[in-house]
Amino acid sequence: MRLLTEAALLGLASGPACLASCGPVLAPWLVAERPGWRRALGLLSVFLGGRLAGYLLFAVAAGLAGTTMPLEARARALLFAAAHLGLAATLIVYGLRPRRRRAEPPLVTIAPARRSWMPVLLGLFTGVNLCPPFVVAAVRAMETGSVTGAVLFFLAFFTGTAVWFVPFAALGALRVAETAATVARFTMLALAAYYAYLGILTLLGRLLHG
Amino acid sequence: MADVAPAAVAAPEGRGIGRSLLLTLPVALWALLMFSRALGVPGVAVKVAAVLTLIFLVTLFFLMVRTRKTNRWRRLFFATLGFLFPIGFVWELIALRGSMSIPIEKMIAGDTPFCFMVIPMILLPAALTRTVIFPGAILPTASNPHSIAVMIGLWAAATLVLGKGWCAYGCFFGGIEEGVAAMPRKARIRKIDGRWRLVPWAVLAAIVLLSLATFTPTYCAWLCPFKTVTEYSEVRSIETAIQAGIFLSLFFGLVIVMPWLTKKRTQCAFFCPFGAFQSLFNKIHIFDIRIRRDQCKDCVSCQNSCPTMALNKQSVADGKTLINCMHCGACVDICHKDAAVWHIKGTPVGAAPERARLLHLYAAWGFATMFGGSIIAGTLTKMLGFLG
Repeated sequence: MRLLTEAALLGLASGPACLASCGPVLAPWLVAERPGWRRALGLLSVFLGGRLAGYLLFAVAAGLAGTTMPLEARARALLFAAAHLGLAATLIVYGLRPRRRRAEPPLVTIAPARRSWMPVLLGLFTGVNLCPPFVVAAVRAMETGSVTGAVLFFLAFFTGTAVWFVPFAALGALRVAETAATVARFTMLALAAYYAYLGILTLLGRLLHG
Repeated sequence: MADVAPAAVAAPEGRGIGRSLLLTLPVALWALLMFSRALGVPGVAVKVAAVLTLIFLVTLFFLMVRTRKTNRWRRLFFATLGFLFPIGFVWELIALRGSMSIPIEKMIAGDTPFCFMVIPMILLPAALTRTVIFPGAILPTASNPHSIAVMIGLWAAATLVLGKGWCAYGCFFGGIEEGVAAMPRKARIRKIDGRWRLVPWAVLAAIVLLSLATFTPTYCAWLCPFKTVTEYSEVRSIETAIQAGIFLSLFFGLVIVMPWLTKKRTQCAFFCPFGAFQSLFNKIHIFDIRIRRDQCKDCVSCQNSCPTMALNKQSVADGKTLINCMHCGACVDICHKDAAVWHIKGTPVGAAPERARLLHLYAAWGFATMFGGSIIAGTLTKMLGFLG
C-alpha cells in the first residue's frame, strides 16, 4: 500500500513534466478534432488508455527482466527512437488525412460510428517517454521484483499523472473556426517533423557511436 | 463597424513642394535630434555616415509626402536596412570574435545577442517559472549590448506605435526579402493557395508548445533562416551540421528564391512565427487599411500587390484587410479608384484617409529613423572607416 501511495504521489508530482511531453501533441490534436465536451472527455480517456498501455508494456518488460536492462543505454535509445518515429508517423497520418465534413446526423443509424486508432497511438507513443519521472518510476517498479508489483506500481503512477490531463478536455470544447482547426493540423505536421528528427538523430547517433 | 463617409473628391496626384517641405519638417527635426550625437563623435566616417543617413531618411519622407505614395519609398528604406543590417552585424561579430559562429562556451556564459524573434517563445516559460529560456544577458554588458531587457523594451515600444507595422518598418530580416522581391519585373509564380497563410500560425503554435516542453528556444535552435546572415551555433556535431543545413535551406528557399519567383515576402507570409505573433497586435493598433466598397471595382490589383497576401476576395468584400496586414501601403498606392484607404479606428472610413496616412507615417517613420536609421548609419560608418 505504501508503495502504491508512493507511486501515485510520484505521478502527481511529475504531472507538469508529463504535460510538457504530452501537451504539445494533445493540445493541437484536440483543437483540430473539435469534439465538444463529451467527446473530448471520451477521446481523452482513450488517449490516456493508450498512455497506460505504454506504461504497462514497459512495466511488464521491467518486471520480467527484473533488472535495469530496459534502461540500458542502447535499449533506451532504440525505444526512444521508435517512440518518436511512431509518434511522428501518427501525427503525419492525422495531419494529412482529408477532413471529414460534418454531416447532419442520420435519422437512423445503421452502422456504428467509425473508430479511430489515433488517440490510442498518440497516447502509446507519448507514454513511452523516458523522462526523469518515468525513469524513477521504472527503477522503483523493478525494485518490486515481480511483474504484478511493477504493473501495480505503474498503474498507481499513471493515476497520479492522469489527473493533470483532465483540463485538456476544455480545449476540445472550444468552438474554434475551421481556420483554427486547419492551423492545428498544420501544427501537428510541424511537430511530426520535430519528433521524426529526434527519432532519426537518436538512431544515427546509435549507428555512428555504437 | 465604422461609418462610411461619402465618397470624397479624388485627391490631387501630388502635393506642392512648400507644403511637402513643411510637413517633412517634424521628421527632419527628429532625425537631426537622433543623429546630432553622432556629429559630436570624433572621426569623419561617423559624421559622414550620420549625414548620409539623415539625408536619405528625410528625402524619402519628403517623397512620401509629395507623391502621396507610401510603399515605393518605404520599400527603398526597408531594403537598404535589410541589406545593411547583416553586413554591420557580421562585421561586428568578426571584429569581436573572429567568426560568425557562436561557440557553446559563449552561450553558456550568456553572451548571445537577443533577437526579437525569441519573444513569443520565452513568454510562457517566463510566466510559469520565472525563467528566461535564452542564453543571453538580461541587462546589457560591454560584450553584449543586445540584451534581453533592451530588445524587449524596444519591441514593446515599437509594437505600441506600429502594431504589425513592425514587419514593414522595423524587421531588418523582412527587408532582405523585400529587396529580393522587388528585383524581378514580373512574378513567375502567380497562383498561391491562400491556405499557406496559415502556416506561420502553425509554426508559432509548434514552437511555443515545444519551447514550453523543452525549455529551449526551439525556433532559434532549429528554424531561423536568418542565422545564415547573422550568427549560428558552431558546427561541431551532426546535430549542429543539420541545424546549419536547415538554416541555409530555409534562407535560400524562402528569403531568396521564392521572393524572386513570386514577388512576395514568402518567409514573412508563409513561415515567420514572429510575424503571426505580431499580427495579434493589429487588434490594438489604431491605424488600419480599409476598402471602400462603394468605390471598389473588384479589379483585385490590391490583392495582387500585397506582399504578404493580407487581402483576399472575402476580406475585400468585407472592406478590410486580414489580420496579417503590415500596413506597408502597397494596396493603397496601387488602387486607382482610391477604394483602399488609410483609416483611424473609430472614425468614418474614407473621411480623411490622407490625414490618417500621414499620422501613421509620422509614428512609423519616427521609429524607422531611430531604429533603422541607427543601424544604417552604424554599418555605413564601418564601411566608410574601412575604405579609409
